[in-house]
Order: sequence, then structure tokens, then C-alpha cells
Amino acid sequence: MKNIFLVSLTAMMIFSFLFLNCQKPAEENVVLYPSPDDPTISFRIWIKVGSQNDPPGKAGLAALTADMLCEGGTQKHSYKEIVELLYPMAAEIQAQVDKEMTIIYGRVHKDNLNAYYEIFREVLLEPAFNEDDFQRLKTDRINFIENSLRYANDEELGKAALSEFIFSGTPYEHFTFGHLTDLRNMKVDDVKDFYHTYFHQRNIVIGLGGGYPSQFVSRLINDIKILPEGQPSLLPKIEVMNIDGIEVKIIEKPASATAISFGFPITVVRGQDDYYALAVANSWLGEHRNSSSHLYQVIREARGLNYGDYSYIEYFPNGGSLQFPPANVARRHQFFEIWIRPVPNEARLFAFRAALRELKDLVDNGMSEEEFELTRKFLKNYILHYAPTTMMKLGYAIDDKFYGISGSHLELFGQALEKLNVQQVNQAIKKHLQYQNLKVVFVTPDAEKLKYMLMNNLPSPINYPTPKSEQILQEDQEISVFPLEIHEDKIYIVPVQKMFE
Amino acid sequence: MRIFFLSFVLFFLLGMSMGELYSQKFFPYEYEKFQLNNGFTAYLMPVKGSGLVAYYSIVRTGSRDEYEPGRSGIAHFFEHMMFRGTKRFPGPVYDKMMTEMGADANAYTTDDLTAYHMVIPNTYLEKIMDLESDRFMNLSYNELEFKTEAGAVYGEYRKNRTNPFSVLMEELQNLAFDYHTYKHTTMGFEADIKNMPNLYDHSKNFFQHYYRPENVVLLIVGDFDVLSAKALIQKYYSSWTPGYIPPQIQTEPPQQVERFKEVKYEGKTLPILWVAYKGDAFQPNDQMLAACSLLGDLAFGENSAIYKKLVIDEQKVQFLANWFPINRDPKLLNIYCMIKDEKDITYVREEIDRTTEKFKNELVEPLALENIKKRVRYSFLMDLDTPDNIAGNLARFVAVTGGLEELDTYYQRIDSVTLEDIKAAANKYFQTVRRTTILLKGENE
Repeated sequence: MKNIFLVSLTAMMIFSFLFLNCQKPAEENVVLYPSPDDPTISFRIWIKVGSQNDPPGKAGLAALTADMLCEGGTQKHSYKEIVELLYPMAAEIQAQVDKEMTIIYGRVHKDNLNAYYEIFREVLLEPAFNEDDFQRLKTDRINFIENSLRYANDEELGKAALSEFIFSGTPYEHFTFGHLTDLRNMKVDDVKDFYHTYFHQRNIVIGLGGGYPSQFVSRLINDIKILPEGQPSLLPKIEVMNIDGIEVKIIEKPASATAISFGFPITVVRGQDDYYALAVANSWLGEHRNSSSHLYQVIREARGLNYGDYSYIEYFPNGGSLQFPPANVARRHQFFEIWIRPVPNEARLFAFRAALRELKDLVDNGMSEEEFELTRKFLKNYILHYAPTTMMKLGYAIDDKFYGISGSHLELFGQALEKLNVQQVNQAIKKHLQYQNLKVVFVTPDAEKLKYMLMNNLPSPINYPTPKSEQILQEDQEISVFPLEIHEDKIYIVPVQKMFE
Repeated sequence: MRIFFLSFVLFFLLGMSMGELYSQKFFPYEYEKFQLNNGFTAYLMPVKGSGLVAYYSIVRTGSRDEYEPGRSGIAHFFEHMMFRGTKRFPGPVYDKMMTEMGADANAYTTDDLTAYHMVIPNTYLEKIMDLESDRFMNLSYNELEFKTEAGAVYGEYRKNRTNPFSVLMEELQNLAFDYHTYKHTTMGFEADIKNMPNLYDHSKNFFQHYYRPENVVLLIVGDFDVLSAKALIQKYYSSWTPGYIPPQIQTEPPQQVERFKEVKYEGKTLPILWVAYKGDAFQPNDQMLAACSLLGDLAFGENSAIYKKLVIDEQKVQFLANWFPINRDPKLLNIYCMIKDEKDITYVREEIDRTTEKFKNELVEPLALENIKKRVRYSFLMDLDTPDNIAGNLARFVAVTGGLEELDTYYQRIDSVTLEDIKAAANKYFQTVRRTTILLKGENE
């Protein structure tokens, strides 16, 4: 065993290398990450607008607007010509939209910087908003919701439904990529109006990183000035409704397995002291796609019920494909979430009870000193993997701006891990986590049967196709009768074809 | 599709311009090959600065090696068992040590390989070598653990099953191959996955046959000292006993007629049309295969005429893509698309045929060939920017060819591909008798 102190020290040195290098120049709306040896240049432009700004009846407009920039023509070039120009550079211009943020980003080798930037500039500042591009992208989006989301990925369906359920009645509610009726009625003029309302200087933060020439920054800043100066947009108020007891939405569809997600709003966000304490607890309970996750150990490793089980204190999209938290899905309001990957339908209620029981145990009893120390050690090294590339470092720096963090989140995280103790973590758990008031989504067939079992608190014994140890079987008996108090009126069955309509 | 079929190779030149790039050898990083008497091979590639090390143990065995009837899926299943520990480091101890290191660790299995990969702070290199060599030599699990893991693997199958592409791939491989093990996907036939709990003894045999030093290549990329790494490899891997037994895979005879199947998907989806041509076993020094590696994207990539027509102008398909991978044995060269309106299926199929015919009969524009060669290079330059990305992108080439030595040869071949080579490759591979087509339709179509 290596000297742990030495290891931690080394980790901190790497840490400094990775995260302290970000320069924040005098301009309030610029984030730079120069790296002269990097043969590529990364662009990351943050526009302070997201799906929370979609006008009533236009759910999905922010996302479609961003698509129109990156996958549509400009005033000088058709989309086809742009594809042709970018092809030999192996470069792209892409968009990412969430509730509060729109990001236009891309990366290019320095050999092609000028040619690439010409296109990037046009895409951002001189979009054409052609009708044929609009029809193509709108149809793509409708097909995605109507087919892929509803039928081809029950896990993402469940998570998207949970987000809508938790933030119901707020501007965060509707699925970021829209609702079908709204999308069908959308016109290209809606996109134009949206762009002109929100794409102005005051709403834009420029992120630039890699091996760019020093004079390039002022070029970029000057070019953005073609946009109207504008006024900072007023942030829509997000008043999340209190949850009273356990509320369940059962999305009914034919499936051989059941996807389950549940959670509740939390008030803690990045940069706050409690965030880091809670992050330690969450990492222990359910580190994303890591076998160190306690939920993973209980549901997958010991019982083989599914492929994985994780928990989150920040929104984490595309969990099936991402290994580490994505950048620039920052939000003023977050929620705690437990994600149970598909389990056999006959084990759906058992798996839910097992996860809820573990949450209760954490809330009631907290973490032990040993669990805390192990998780702390883990995180000190693990966060080194969060932002390995210039593009991700820029993303994190932009998120720091969003959350008003001076310095960097990952730097604060590292410092907090040095200082935290188990009492502070357990206090944060008591303050922010609970198991009595939450919203649950099941994506599953035979919804009425599940509803009946839930509202009557019926036992959900489990039978395994393979033998299990005595200890597991004994614990299973407790899990199968773990008490659920769910009122009939708080269980809603929704056929899948009604979702995101 | 920026990351496409050739992105398995490193082409990362710090501060080097394209002009220089042409005149230099293709593979710019220095690396050292280190081989032990037992046949174990390591490639050591120092990339200074990050403090991190990517550690890839590449087993040259995947679902391709599952030749015994009823045993499909075992390579992937076995990958799961590799996390169950040894007598010295039982599963929970292994897990705890990995957790303490904050390792970004995982594994994957495909047709031709199984890769166990991790990124760790370089201070843990010896610890990782101790742990990894131990589990590759001394893996130990009991029948109960084996049976429990079977549940998790079946869960993974269920998770994938909601995706129409998983359904389609199963049908495609099953239809395209009669004898070769490429007939099944890496997940395996569902009946075999269900039966997995009964294959404890077979799993032990599998380990004995394939997890041997001659069949595993170690690739270390990142911030480490080569000399010390060699000493560690000597220390930890020398006692591994050789004894690899090659699988008895049947050769697939040449296909005689075109194959087609319409597949029903139990869910809603737009129709998916998948056209696959039989390819060849990969040889880095083969001019036809070098041309073939460019052919897919030239004919069906986003800069191709058919893409612009069907995706952008006529908007008849949601997307059009191609996937021409490299394989140890002849597998499939794939073209696929999602069609917006069922009434256009025939039209889209005809357009794909027209495109293959055009490439067989006409020379491609010189500018198009020049552009794709540039794209291939810049794709390397840009995609491989961390030790993990470098190692991850080399893994398949290492598994298929056995090492890194022939990388330069292959890329010199690609650079020398001519317009005539592209036409010859189209004539060789785009033959009707090599073709298998799957049309997948959803429930309400």
C-alpha cells in the first residue's frame, strides 16, 4: 500500500494542473482556457436561454432554435454546403439545450481554424432559418419523441417523465425537446422570434480554449457585437410544488422489464457547503455507473436483479451512455433521483422497496466513519476524471459562472473533501434527503395490478432463478414487506402514447 | 458522424502541421514493445503531463470465439465474472481497493475482443499491476456468485431489447452467417443467456483456454516511466503459465445468393433498412481493404451524394449511416437508414443500389478522395486527446492484428489509395451475392 498522504498530495497536484489553469479575463462574458501545446481549438458559447423560456404552447422551441443554428443553413451557405466545408476538417458545430442553458460548441484542428471559424460565426450570428431546414428538423424531433423516446428507451422515458412529474406546474416541467402538439404547430417564424429575443450580447458568454492565437479572442468578442446589446433576460420563477406522501405515475406499455426512477426536489446546488457533504453521501449511495454504488451492490451485485442502480443530486442526462457528469446542464433548482435500471416485471415492486429501504437507512442512520473515509478517498481521485479535455474544462468553467463560483467547482470539491467530516455529511443528509415525500415513475405493463399492490401495501416476495445466501434471503423478507403508504388517488396510470403529447 | 470507422487509430501530433504530417511516419508517438518468455506482450506509450495512466488489458477473445453450440454470450458473461475477485483479493476487497484509487474502471466485450480498462493516478501503477495480473491468473468465484451474475447479464439483455437496433442486429447476424460464430451477437442467443446459470463448469474452461498470456495484450498509455513499468511487468506477469488453446471456429463458405428478411419489432419505430455486404478478414497491408475502409464513407457518408439527396433535399430518411469495421474474420460492411414514410422503402432501397452501382462503374471525384483522406487524418488528430482516448482507440487494432507494429503500414496504404482502387473495392464488395438485407418495421407500421 502506498503512502496515502503521498497519494493525496499527488492527486492535489494533478488537480491543480487540471483545474486551476482557467483564466477568467476582465470581460465578464468570456471564459478562456489557453493551452498553447494543444493542436486544437475548442469553442463553447453559452446563451442564457433554455426550455424554461419556451413560450406557452411552444414546448421545445429553445431546442429547435439551437438545432436550426447547427443543422440549418446560414445567410451565405446552405446546410449542404456547410456539411461539405466541415467534412475534410473532421469538425462539427453542435448544440446542447437544457432548462436554463443553450450551448453552441465545436472543436477544430488549428490548421483549419480560420476556415472553421468563418462557418461557426455564420452559424451563430447569421442563421438563415430556411423553411426546408425547419421542416426537416421539426420532423426529426417529432419522430424522436413519437418513436424512440416512447418505445425504444424505457430508461430515458422514465427519467424524462420523472422530471416532468417533479417540476409539474413550473417552467421546468415540459420535456426539453418539446411536446408533440406544440411541435406540430410550430412555425419557422417562432424560431426567428425566439432567436431575436434571446440571442443578444448580454445573454452570451464566450468560451474559448486550446491552442488559439492570442489575438483570436478579441476577434471573437468583436464579432459577437453584431448582435443587439439587449437586456439580461428575466429568469422565470420556478416554484416547485411540495410533495405530500408518495405519488406514483405508472406509464403503461408492453415491455419485458420495468424501468423505475424516483426522487424529490432539493434546494442545494453546486458551490454551497452542503453540496459537497451531500455529494459524498450520494457517491456512497449511488455513484453513477460505478460498482462502488451501494444501491448497485444491494440490487445488482448481491441479487442480480438488473444492470445497475444509481443516485444523483444533480440532473444527469444520458446516463446510459455517459460515464461522468456532463457540463452545462446547470440549473437553479435540482432534484434528488434514484435510477433503477430495468428489472424483471415480477421484481418491480421488490426493487423499488429495496431502493427505498436503502434510502431510509441512509437518512435514519447516516454514513459510518468507515464508509465516509472510503468514499472521501474515492472521490479525491475520481473527480480527476471529470474534466479531462479542454472542451470539458471550458464546460465546467461556464458552469462555475452559472453558479457564481469564484475559482472552480472541482477545486472547491477537492478542498471540501480535505476538510469534511462524517458528522457534517450526516447533517447534510438529514437536512436535504428524506424518504416520505417523493414521486415515482414506473415504465411497465399491467399497470392496474401494480397500482393495486401499491395502494394496498401488498407484500412483494421475490423468487430467484438461482440460489441465494441465507443472509440475502432473510433481508429479502424485510424488503418484501417494507411498508408503503400510498393513497389510491396518488397513483396515476398513463398510457405511453399520451406521454409528451 | 465525426467519429467514424477509422477512428480506432491514434494520430495525435502535438503542434505538427499537416505539411509535416504527410512526410512523417503515421504513428507519431514513441512506444516500446515488451515481451515476456511466456508470450505476454505489453505496449508502453509514455505521454507526459496529465499524472494519469490508462491501463488496458486486451483479451484477443470475444464472442467470435464462442464456437460450441449453446455457449453463445459466454465471453461477455465472463467479463462480468472477472470482477468477482481472487483468493488473495476477494470481490469486496478488490472493489474496495479500486474505490480507494478512484479508478475510472470498466470493461467491454465485442466480437473480436474483451477489454478491461481503467484510468488511474500514476502513483497507483504498481498496485493496479498487482491487482490485474492477479485476477487474470487466479480468478476465483463460486457457483453461487456465478448464478447471481447471470441475473445481471439477463438484465442487460432486457435493457438492450427495447432498442430496435438490438433486435435488428440479432436478426442480421443470424441471417448473414450459417457456420461462423459471427452468427450470434456478443450478447448471445436469448436461449443461451437464459441457460447461463448452468454453465459454471464451461466458464472455468473458458478461462483456462483464453485467459492466457499469449492471448492478452497490455497497453499502457500516459504519464509513467517506461523502465519501471517494464520491471513491474516482469515482476507481476512472469509467473503466468502459457496454454492458450485457439477456438475451433468454422469458416463461413462464400455466400451464394442474396438474403433478405423482414423483421417485426414489438414497439413503435420508423422502418429501418439495413444493407450489409460480406467483407474480408483485416490485413493491414492489403490495398483493397485500405480502399474499402474509405469506401463506406465516400459512398454513404454525410458528404455523399445520396446523403444530401435523401437526408437534406428530399428528407425521405431520418438518417443514413455506414459502418465498415475491421474484423479478424470476414464480417459485414453495413449501410443503414431510418425511413420516414413506409411508402418510400422501395425507393430508398433503389437509391442505395444506384449508389453502389455508380461506385462500381464510375471513378469517384478526385476532390472527394482527397477530402476523405484529410478527414481521416484530422479525425485522428482531434479525437485522441487524453491517455484514455489514445488507448481506447488503439484497442481494436491491437486485438485484430495482435499489436501496433502494422499501424504505419496500414495508414501508408490508406494514403496511397487511388480512384481506381476505390472502384475496384466497390466491384469486389458491393456484389449482390455478398448482400444481406434486413427491413425492420414497428408494430403500427
